[in-house]
Amino acid sequence: MNLFYALLPFLSSIVSFVFAVLVFRRYVARRGIHLLLWGVGMVMYGLGGFCEAYYGVFGWNPLVFRLWYLFGAMLVAAWLGQGTVYLLAKRKWANGLMIVLGLASLYGAVRIFGAQLDPAQMSSSLHTGSELSGRAITTPGIRSLTPFFNVYGTITLVGGAAYSAWLFWRKRVLLHRAIGNVLIALGALLPAFGGAFSRFGIGHALYLSEFAGAVLMFLGFLRATTPMKDLEERAPEQAAG
Amino acid sequence: MTGNEEKTKKERKYPELYEKLIPCVLGIIVVAMLALLAIAVAVALKLLPGVSY
Repeated sequence: MNLFYALLPFLSSIVSFVFAVLVFRRYVARRGIHLLLWGVGMVMYGLGGFCEAYYGVFGWNPLVFRLWYLFGAMLVAAWLGQGTVYLLAKRKWANGLMIVLGLASLYGAVRIFGAQLDPAQMSSSLHTGSELSGRAITTPGIRSLTPFFNVYGTITLVGGAAYSAWLFWRKRVLLHRAIGNVLIALGALLPAFGGAFSRFGIGHALYLSEFAGAVLMFLGFLRATTPMKDLEERAPEQAAG
Repeated sequence: MTGNEEKTKKERKYPELYEKLIPCVLGIIVVAMLALLAIAVAVALKLLPGVSY
C-alpha cells in the first residue's frame, strides 16, 4: 500500500464530509436550494475521495470504481456548479438546467453501472495504475460524457464564484465574501487542472489537486460566511482619511 | 458604471492589499479557466495526446 495514494484521498474525503455537514447545517438554518446542492456536491466529492482511498488500501473493487467514476469523476463539479446557478441565475433558468442535469446524471449512472470494466487498462499507457482512472471503462461512449459535465461544472462553479467576487470587489462591499469567493474559485479550478494533468500522465496530480481543492474551497466557505469586522469597519475610515 | 456606483466606490475602499490582489487573482482565474476549456476542447477533438479521464 502506498501511503500517498491512500492517505491523501482519505484526507480529501474527511475535509469534504465536514464541509458538507457545515453546508447542510446552513441549509437547515437558512434554506436556499443552492446550499442543498452544494452540500450534495460536497458529499459526492467526499465519496470520490473515499473510493480513491479504498482503492489505495484494498485494491480493485468494481462497485467502488463505479461509485468513484460516477460521483468523483463525472457528477461532482456539475452538481456543485448547479448550486451556483441557483444562487446567481433566474429561478426558471436554474430549474430548467436542473432538470437537464438530473436526467443527464441518471443517464450517466445507468451507463456507468452497466459498463464493462477492465482494471488492467489503468496500468497501460501513461498511467501506472496507482491512481484510479477512467481507462478501466472499456464500453465505448461513457468516458466521452464526462467532459460535458465537467465543462458545465467548471464554468458555473469557477465562473460563478469569480463573478461573485468581482461584484463584491466592484462595489467594495463585504470583503470577506470577495475573498471567500476567490478561494472557492481557486479551489474549484485545482481538481480540474489535476484531471487535465492526469490525462497527460503526470503522476500524483489528481489526488494532490483534489486535496488542495477541497481545503481551499472549505477555507473559502468559512471566509465567505465569517465577516472580517475589523477590516470591513476600518475600510470606510481609510477612504475618508 | 453608473453615477451611484462611482460615488459608492469613492466612499468605500478595501484595504490596499485586497484592492490590488483581488482583481489580479480574478484575472489569473479567468485565464486558467479559458486554458482548461481549450484543453478540454482539444482533447475532445483529439488534437492533444494523452489518456482520456
